[in-house]
Amino acid sequence: MAERRIQSDDKHIQNLAAIVGGEHSILYHKEDLIAYDCDGFTLHKHLPKAVVFPKNTEEVAKLVKYCSDNQLPFLARGAGTGLSGGAIPINGEVIISLVRMKRLLNVDLENRRAVVEPGYVNLKLTNSISDKGYYYAPDPSSQYCCTIGGNVAENAGGAHCLKYGVTTNHILGLEVVLPNGEIIEIGKNGILDTPGYDLLGLLTGSEGTLGIVTKIIVRILKKPEAKQTILAYFDKVSDGSQAVSDIISAGIVPAALEMMDKIAIEGVEAAAFPVGHPKDIEAMLLIEVDGISAGINDQINQILDLCKKRNVREVKVAQNEQESNRWWANRKTGFGAMGAISPDYLVQDGVIPRSKLPEVLDRIQKVSEEYGLRIANIFHAGDGNLHPLVLFDARIPGESEKALKAGSACLKVCADAGGTITGEHGVGIEKKEEMRFVFTDEEIMAQTNIREVFNPNNLLNAGKLFPTPARCVEIKKERKVSHERRKVGTT
Amino acid sequence: MSSKEAPIKESPMCTTKGLGNYLWNDPPDENKWADCVHCGMCLESCPTYEQTGMEQHSPRGRVYLIKSVAEGKLEVNKQFMDPVFACLDCRACTTACPADVDVGGLIEEARGQIRQAMPLTGVKKAVNDLFLKGLFPHQNRLNAIGSLLKFYQKSGMQKIVRKTGLIHIMPKHLVEMEAILPEIKEPVRKKYKNEMVIKAKGKAKHEVGFLTGCIMDVMFSDINQSTINVLTRNGNNVVIPKNQTCCGALHVHAGDRETGRKLAKQNIEAFEDCEKVIVNAAGCGCMMKEYPELFKNDPEWHKKAVEFSKKVEDISKYLYDTGYEKPKAEIKTRITYHDACHLAHGQGIRQEPRDLLLDIPGVEMVHMPNADRCCGSAGIYNITNPEMAGAVLKSKMENVPEDVEMISMGNPGCMLQMALGVQKYGRNQKIVHTVQLLDWAYQKEDEWKNRGD
Amino acid sequence: MVQTDLLVDLKGILPEERMVEEEGEIHPLGNGGKITVYPDSEEEIAKILRYANTHGKKISIVGGGTKRGFGGGNESADILLSLANMNGIVEHTVGDMTLTVKAGTPFKDLQNALAAHNQKIALDVNWPGDATIGGVIAANDSGPKRLGYGSSRDAVIGLRVIYPDGTIIRTGGKVVKNVAGYDMNKLFIGSMGTLGVISEVTLKLRPLPKYESLVLLHFPNGDLQEIRSFAIKVLDSMLEPVALELLNPLLAEKLTGHHQYTLAISFEDNESSVHYQEEFIHKIQPEKSQIDILSQNKARAFWDQFYQIAPNGAAEFTDTQSIEAALKIGVVNLDVLNVLREVQLLQDSHPISILAHGGLGHGLCQVIVKGSSEEVLSAIQWLRNSVERMGGYVVVKHLPLILRQKIEVWGKKPSHFFLLEGIKNKIDPNGILNQGRFVGGI
Repeated sequence: MAERRIQSDDKHIQNLAAIVGGEHSILYHKEDLIAYDCDGFTLHKHLPKAVVFPKNTEEVAKLVKYCSDNQLPFLARGAGTGLSGGAIPINGEVIISLVRMKRLLNVDLENRRAVVEPGYVNLKLTNSISDKGYYYAPDPSSQYCCTIGGNVAENAGGAHCLKYGVTTNHILGLEVVLPNGEIIEIGKNGILDTPGYDLLGLLTGSEGTLGIVTKIIVRILKKPEAKQTILAYFDKVSDGSQAVSDIISAGIVPAALEMMDKIAIEGVEAAAFPVGHPKDIEAMLLIEVDGISAGINDQINQILDLCKKRNVREVKVAQNEQESNRWWANRKTGFGAMGAISPDYLVQDGVIPRSKLPEVLDRIQKVSEEYGLRIANIFHAGDGNLHPLVLFDARIPGESEKALKAGSACLKVCADAGGTITGEHGVGIEKKEEMRFVFTDEEIMAQTNIREVFNPNNLLNAGKLFPTPARCVEIKKERKVSHERRKVGTT
Repeated sequence: MSSKEAPIKESPMCTTKGLGNYLWNDPPDENKWADCVHCGMCLESCPTYEQTGMEQHSPRGRVYLIKSVAEGKLEVNKQFMDPVFACLDCRACTTACPADVDVGGLIEEARGQIRQAMPLTGVKKAVNDLFLKGLFPHQNRLNAIGSLLKFYQKSGMQKIVRKTGLIHIMPKHLVEMEAILPEIKEPVRKKYKNEMVIKAKGKAKHEVGFLTGCIMDVMFSDINQSTINVLTRNGNNVVIPKNQTCCGALHVHAGDRETGRKLAKQNIEAFEDCEKVIVNAAGCGCMMKEYPELFKNDPEWHKKAVEFSKKVEDISKYLYDTGYEKPKAEIKTRITYHDACHLAHGQGIRQEPRDLLLDIPGVEMVHMPNADRCCGSAGIYNITNPEMAGAVLKSKMENVPEDVEMISMGNPGCMLQMALGVQKYGRNQKIVHTVQLLDWAYQKEDEWKNRGD
Repeated sequence: MVQTDLLVDLKGILPEERMVEEEGEIHPLGNGGKITVYPDSEEEIAKILRYANTHGKKISIVGGGTKRGFGGGNESADILLSLANMNGIVEHTVGDMTLTVKAGTPFKDLQNALAAHNQKIALDVNWPGDATIGGVIAANDSGPKRLGYGSSRDAVIGLRVIYPDGTIIRTGGKVVKNVAGYDMNKLFIGSMGTLGVISEVTLKLRPLPKYESLVLLHFPNGDLQEIRSFAIKVLDSMLEPVALELLNPLLAEKLTGHHQYTLAISFEDNESSVHYQEEFIHKIQPEKSQIDILSQNKARAFWDQFYQIAPNGAAEFTDTQSIEAALKIGVVNLDVLNVLREVQLLQDSHPISILAHGGLGHGLCQVIVKGSSEEVLSAIQWLRNSVERMGGYVVVKHLPLILRQKIEVWGKKPSHFFLLEGIKNKIDPNGILNQGRFVGGI
């Protein structure tokens, strides 16, 4: 860590280094950059030009302005846990890493809000206010390490969004550096419905293509008085998913309603946080209910009854917090756990109307058979968000490609069932083409038009989210408009 | 997908080509990184990532670099060496990893490659050799230094050095270290050199071997004494094999796996007749449990190492498992517990030492946030990477509760480092080894009994 | 005559019986059209928009008309596009708890239909009998229960929108969780119809509560500080009120007969937990406060009445002497107390009457001012000055056209106005839709 001089002749590297204050805040050697050639999605890789570590909004703005003025492509990165490749520098971008902007700037319990910098880690927020009885609701499984800035970019969900909503429902205000380097504030002071189009909503989930968030005002919630976790094992997937529907239809809004299938259970049981699930069951439900203590037993009893009606093999309520924590650790590390039963996995993120669950699972099984790859299923069953995990071995030639195709086929199944291709992981580069499963060319262009307002030169995180050649669409569209004009003219 | 992604040129599918640029014996084990799915769950557990925010200074990044060398994308060079050697080897990532990736093992193997590719030269080599080859494996030399230090403290020279300003000539981190040198007492290996077996008080239930450790016995012989006291009080005959040596952890951490193997063999032989090998230094315990890693290519010794590693047990776990007398005398103190990395992450021992402390009447335990976060000691890391070690220590000290009187832990390296922290940040906690506190409680009980008699 | 040409052109698109020529006096709220059209399909809407877009015609959009006095400085556009015929449920998937509905469907009708399945749209809006779901969303209306259930941006999962060039765009989808592409739904919620015509809405639903009650806590000595500490106590407790709304004495009198600051605390859950929470309020209630608990139907009746206190743009204009204005005020949650204090000061020193309420858990207030034109305008200015000092905003939700022309309905342009303008220009380059109805005249 000793002070070193910039060992590069590249004037851009020197200028970028000067903005962030020198060698300690920039990476440009290949050996250092290689760790940034992908994020949580590892099937595409590309080296960035450099990685810079700004300390504050002003530095971010200067970096952005420099890149913009010099036509250098750039993108923002948080912890790099994204699963769709949103932070992969496919154009050799300058990566603006926000991990050193990790302060908790303010907590206002009375008005139920906190202000954080984008590099602040999700779980730290909850940890820092939990002794006062508060928490931050969005809880993606990577919350131990993912940043709130990244959560905003991806509109991250989590196990508890069934009742409490995803990131967008908890963001009150943002400070944003626009792709030209200008700093704006939206949702000023975290006040609701500030006049104007809802840029807050638009930016949340824009996968870092509209601006770089440098400050975030989030809503914090009071912890529910009581919380109970239920674990239920089913011999048939259809029984498990019927139970899910029954619970929701009964007017219960569980805080979380998670499901894992047989292969997923095999994975988590072989990994670091096993809890001893039986290996021969087809489906496991993890249900959490919370709320006022006086009413919680009614909910529990109702859920237990509903499970029993659907032939549950075993259903139990966690005896204490430790037990519930163990069940949750087992579930939350589910993706990583696949490493224990397969060298590689590809996680997909489809959403379906939850009533179609059994049907969709059957079709995913067919995809698995067709491609000869095992597919584990972990899902947020309550809101129909499926995570098919395609297991493969990248060392076997051709298997990565096969996995990608199988993953795509799973998304097609979801889209055909009236659902969508991503519920919380984002499109990134992974699902660009699959966007066509759910949107028409016009609908995609409606979105790229919005991008043009913010990011006219497309230097910020280009090549993400939308299928690549939008040009032919524009031509088609142009033709159509003139055709319409003629028609109108004659009437 | 590459077919549809026409504009992306340099994005080959990740394929693994043999072991690429690892050209030396004992390369990193491919199966260890195959489990890593790049999920990033390890990031926040890593003290160097916390300090730098840089991916190559995170467990995921390091594994990725190690893998990249095997894939032929990188070479074993200085840029590769920096992140691999900046690792504290605290193993917190191993705890955090959902897929049980043995990051620590990979790092040590990679260090072995680096040391073979780029042998140390100049001053660094001299320092390294002095500590690792010249000192730790040689108890007599260590003792000699201990005597010198003792002389230094007792003779008034310490005062002179401190007063005259001589101290300002020493490098800053060495000055800091000097300030916290524990009071040097007689090593137990010297004290008991004529006793084959130190007899249990009362009826002997077990007989255990005791690793006195290299630095431990010089700097912290009182802890070794406490360990012996506690063991014998609880019905254990204690044997201190004469030809035991340094466990080799520091060598293996530094990439000198060859010396590591040599020391391992010596210890395996030294403790051959013992059924249990009791260790009071987490780093040593962890290393000795991992001896089999060193002999992957040597079936004969591998077998012996596996046998040996099963015998190794940390003192706190051993007492917890075999039962111990609950002290009756009260030690009224507010205490917090620091998880030594190689106890919590390396050996999965977290609750046992806490229970042990809580069994002492009068002890009030205050929770330390991030108790299992590395303190920055990491063997001789605080000597080789003072800046990073200092930063890690700073964040550790920020978590130490204000109102405690003692910080207890189970590793001598941590004790020195935490003592440094206490001194540096103007705190006033006493640093104790878990087993010491238990010993004091017993002693107090005895005094009280004696007085009563 | 231009209007005749327009009529002729429109006849090529719609049957004559679904077109009405505006006659007689100008509507005092403005936002009318020379010809009102009643399309009954998306295709017809698309044709009308395409026609207007290519012929430089301006379109004003109307649903139930309750928000006719909200924004806009024009008496009349060329075409008033009514969505009254775009009415009805398209799909209600009971098991999925999602609902797709045509934009012109009155809100109350929807709730009634859903109630049969023990479900509801978790929005509480003004004039639910008249307001259409499309209008609620386009104007982003919400009520006190936003604390518990959120607003349109939390409930809408998909839209169908017809762009000025006639393209039909779907945003979002039919599933409750969706991050495919930009969250375009958000762009249209609260956009006041300036970007496109919302033709269809998909919403996520919630179960009807098994039990509900409303705790009314009256504070006779009017000490706002005391109310503040009590509210903090409630917010910091384990209680889960779906509304924590403070009513000013005049509004409380109108709704409850008590001329006192009153907190309306609403609980919706299963019966045991509702009673448990009522009990808790009892325990912590300040010494001199008075408590009333309204359960089930009584609570619902209270809220029904509550949703009708704001001026309704669709109502007949009778009183020409006094002017009514409705304001939406947004501040940091507990500043609601300060807003209500300002309201009190204003009322004490001016010949006006003000009904006001605000949510202590979400920071939005509704303030209804009645008085002479001059007094109303100066009251708006007064409130705007003091609210802006708190960092908040004042939007005028209802005001006669002639007065709207004298003030900035939306307040000052935000510093990032160029983005709003950019979005508008991208989607509606010819400015045909609800021209001037929104922030900064877009």
